[in-house]
Amino acid sequence: MDIEQICFEMICHVGDARSSFVEAIQQARQKNFSQALELIENGKLNYHLGHAVHARLVQKEMEEEVNHLSLILVHAEDQMMSAENFKILSEEFLLMYQLFHSKCDW
Amino acid sequence: MKNILLMCSAGMSTSIMVKKMTEAAAKINADVSIKAIPEQALNDHLDEADIILLGPQIRFLQDKVKAAAKEIPVRVIDTMDYGLMDGEKILRQALDILGEE
Repeated sequence: MDIEQICFEMICHVGDARSSFVEAIQQARQKNFSQALELIENGKLNYHLGHAVHARLVQKEMEEEVNHLSLILVHAEDQMMSAENFKILSEEFLLMYQLFHSKCDW
Repeated sequence: MKNILLMCSAGMSTSIMVKKMTEAAAKINADVSIKAIPEQALNDHLDEADIILLGPQIRFLQDKVKAAAKEIPVRVIDTMDYGLMDGEKILRQALDILGEE
């Protein structure tokens, strides 16, 4: 499998995850907490799939001492970090909106 | 000639998808122009688009894009097709939607 294909696999999994995390925040804002939770769980699943692709790539580099460095890989890693940030934030936002909606009728 | 607009967060992965889809278009003799744009450039390209395809990484923007696009069909590319860089399948799906219009 070439590097472009591997990066696309990463981008699609972590990108899908990132979308789910942001959608979870949007659902929590509308008081749909169970949907929000479901989206977060789904996002985590996809995040781990993307993360596994990346982990294999890192392992391969260690074993074979190959140099994969390319701009598209940097971009894929960037997307992965962004997804991870949204994962942490979406869980915090869910709690915050739950608290907010319980205190304030909005 | 139909214009297909691909959108993702930076326009980077979709640039590669443009290449794959353009190759597929040549193979099946489809008269299309395919362009990749980052999300913030949407308004500059709305006039020329016949269909807008979103990468799975900006699926959460679907409602906003639909609101801006008005009559233009907006679809999210399937995660598996995107991950496998299946340009031909994505192109055929876009052509099907354009054919129904």
